[in-house]
Amino acid sequence: MRRFAIISLVLITALALGLVSTVRAQSDITICFGFQDLETEFWVAGHKAITETLRGQGIEVLEYNANEDPNRQLEQVRECIAQGVDGIIIIPQDGDSAVTIINEAQASDVPIAVFNRPPNDRSRGITVVADNVSATEQAVEFMAQQALVKWAVTGNTVQPLILVGALQDTNAIGRREGFFNVITRYSEKYPGLFAEPIEVATEWDAATALANLEAAITANPNVDFIFTSSDFLFPTIRSVLEPRGKWVPRGDANHVIMGGLDGDATACQLIDQGFVDATGVQDLFLEAELTMDRLLEAIANGETQPNEVLLDPGFALSAANIQFDRSDMWGCVLLDEGFLDQ
Amino acid sequence: MDQGNLTHPWSTTQRLTIEGCTVSTVNDRLSQLQSLTRRKKSHSASSSTATQMIRKLLLSDYFVLYLTLILFMSAAVFFPTLGTPGNIANQLQNMWPLLAVAIGQTFVLILGGIDLSLGATMGFTSVVGAIVMAQNLDPAFFDKSPLWGTLMRPEGGLLAGSALAVPVGVLVMLIVGTSIGFLNGYAITRFKMAPFMVTLVTSTFFAGFALWLTQSRNISGLPEAFIELGKGDIVSVYLGPKLTPDIARRDILQFITYPFVIAVGLAILAQFLLSKTVFGRQMFSIGTNRVTSDISGLPSQSVIIRVYMFSGFCAAVASILYSARLAIGQPSLGGGNLLLDIIGAAVIGGTSLFGGKGSVRGTFFGVAFFVLLLNILNAMRLDPFVIDAVKGGFILLAALVDVTRTRLMNREQRA
Repeated sequence: MRRFAIISLVLITALALGLVSTVRAQSDITICFGFQDLETEFWVAGHKAITETLRGQGIEVLEYNANEDPNRQLEQVRECIAQGVDGIIIIPQDGDSAVTIINEAQASDVPIAVFNRPPNDRSRGITVVADNVSATEQAVEFMAQQALVKWAVTGNTVQPLILVGALQDTNAIGRREGFFNVITRYSEKYPGLFAEPIEVATEWDAATALANLEAAITANPNVDFIFTSSDFLFPTIRSVLEPRGKWVPRGDANHVIMGGLDGDATACQLIDQGFVDATGVQDLFLEAELTMDRLLEAIANGETQPNEVLLDPGFALSAANIQFDRSDMWGCVLLDEGFLDQ
Repeated sequence: MDQGNLTHPWSTTQRLTIEGCTVSTVNDRLSQLQSLTRRKKSHSASSSTATQMIRKLLLSDYFVLYLTLILFMSAAVFFPTLGTPGNIANQLQNMWPLLAVAIGQTFVLILGGIDLSLGATMGFTSVVGAIVMAQNLDPAFFDKSPLWGTLMRPEGGLLAGSALAVPVGVLVMLIVGTSIGFLNGYAITRFKMAPFMVTLVTSTFFAGFALWLTQSRNISGLPEAFIELGKGDIVSVYLGPKLTPDIARRDILQFITYPFVIAVGLAILAQFLLSKTVFGRQMFSIGTNRVTSDISGLPSQSVIIRVYMFSGFCAAVASILYSARLAIGQPSLGGGNLLLDIIGAAVIGGTSLFGGKGSVRGTFFGVAFFVLLLNILNAMRLDPFVIDAVKGGFILLAALVDVTRTRLMNREQRA
C-alpha cells in the first residue's frame, strides 16, 4: 500500500507540475512540431534550431515525439488539428506516411511543412530537403580521388562498402544513388580501380549497423573504402575497425578511405583528426530557416494548402577544404561551440 | 446515582442510555469521557466507511471508468480544448485500432499468458495484405524482394485490379494473423514452452520476415476501398451555424466510422465469448489455476491454442485498421512502444497479469483512459520525452492496483 501511495504521489506531483508549467502567456500563432526520436546530432540540432527560433519569435510550439511510429504521428497531427493550430511542421518516419499525413492536414485546411525527410509525392505540402544525390556525389568524388591515388601507388583494387539507410526513406535512397553514380563512373573510367561494392543495411539503427558491418568486414577484411549514409554511424564504424588496426588517420598504410553525409560535429572532428576524408553537408540552419519562413509566410497570407519544394544544395567538406569552408558546416560550428563536450 | 463508586461508570451509563433511562452525570470527568468516546467511535466509523468506500471502488468493475471521468472533468477545467467536440471525436478515432488489438491481449492475459508477438503479427499481416491488394509496385524498390516476379510485379500485387482484391486481401490478413496465433498456442501447449519465450521468438521471426519480403519498404498504392476501412465515416456531424456554403473539413466531426463499427463489433463478440460461452468460463478457470483445470478434465490445450488464435485474429483486425488509415502496407507496423500501450491498456482496464481476471468492458475503459491520459499529457505541453516516462508510471501504478485488488479479493474470499 505504501508503494502504491508513493507512486501515486509522484504521478500526481508530475501532473500538478505540468499543470503549473502550462500557465503561460498564449501567443497568437501556434505551430505543431512533430518529430521522431532525436537519435542523431543532426536531428538534435534541427529540433533545437526550429523550436528555439520559433519560441524566440513569440510563437507557441506544441511538440510531439512519435517514437518512430508513423501511425502515432498521424494521431498526433490529428490532435494538433483538433486543437486548432495554425501550422504544422513534421519530420516524418518515411516518405509514404508523410504523404498521408500531408493529405490529412491539407484536407483540414492547415498548412504543413516537411523538414528534411521528404514525402514520396512532393507535389503537396512545403518540402524542405537537401539534394542528397548531389551532396553525396561531391563527398564520394573526393573519396574516389583518394582511392585513385592509392590504386596508382599500390596497384591493389579498392574494395568499397556503403552503409545504406532505411530504404523507405527517400534520403537513404538519394544517398545510395549518389554513391553508386560516382563508383560506376570511376569504374568505367578506370577499370580495376573498384571491386563490386558491398552494401550493408543499417535501417538507421546503430545496433543493426554494428551487427551487419561486423559480419561484412569479417567476410571481406580487404574493405578499404567506406561510405556511411549518415555521419552518426562513425562511432559504430570505429568500433569495428579499431580492433582490426584499421582505424588510423590519413597517411597510414592501413587507413580506410572514409566518408559520410550530414556534416555533424563528430564528422568535423574526425576530418580534423584525419580519420575521415570527406562528408556531404546538409545546411541544417538554412533548412530550418527555409521551413519556418515559408510556413509562417503561408500562415500570414492565409494559404491553407501551400505546395512548394525548397532545396538545400548541400556541399562536401573534405580534408582539402575544411580550413576554408569550416564555418559553413553546422557540425563544425557546434563542435567549436563545445557541443561534443556537453 | 453516585458515579464515583462505579468501577466502570462508562459502560453503565451507556447501558442505561440504551435502555431508555435518563442518566444524569454527576461529574465533569464522566461527561468528557463520554464525549471523547463518541468522537472516537464516530471517527472510527467514518474511517471504516472511507476504507470500505475505497475498497468498494477498487473492487468495482467500473473503477477505471470513474477514474477516466474524474480525470477528464478535472483536466477539462484547465484545458478547455479537451472537451471540444473536435477533440473528443479525434480521441475516439484513436481508440478503435488500439481497442481491437488490446482485446486479444486481454484474452491471453486472462489465460495467464502474454502475447509479445502482436506487434510483429500486425506488421506481417499488413505486408501480406498489401502484397495481395497493391495496385502497382515500383521495381526500383522491390526488384530485390524474393517475391518479385511471382506475387509482386510492376502491375501490382497478386489480385491487382480485381474486384476481389480487397475482400480476399482482408481475408488473407485475418487468416495469416490467426495462423500466427495458432503457431504460438501450439508451441506453448505442445512443447510446454513459456508464452513469453514463444511469442518473443515469433515476434522476432515475423518482424524480420516482413522486412525481408519487402526489403524494408512500405507498400503503397492500396485500393481506395481498403483505405476507406481505416478512415471512412458512416455518421459525421457539424455543430454550429452554417455561415458559408462549404463547411471546412476540420469542422466536420467523424463519430461513427468504419473503425468504430469494426472495433466495437469485435468487442461485442469478445465479450460474448468471455461471458456467455463455456469457452469463456474455461479460460477463466485455466487462468486461475491451470493444474486444477487439468485435473478437472478441462481441454486446456485446445482452449490455450484457441485463445492465441483469437489474439492473432485481433492483431490482424488492428493491422487492417492501422494499414488502411495510413494507406500503406508497413513492415514495421506494431513496432516501437505499441506493445507497451497494448499491455498497458489491458492492465489499466483491470486485467490481471496473474491470469484469471479481466473483461472486455474493462479493457475498453483502459483504452479510453490510456488515450485520454496521452491527450492530457500532450495538452499539458509536457516535454515529449517526459510523456513516455509518465505513461510508464501509470502502467506501473495500474499493475500495483492489480496486486492490491487481488489481495483484497483473496482476503474477502477467505473471510
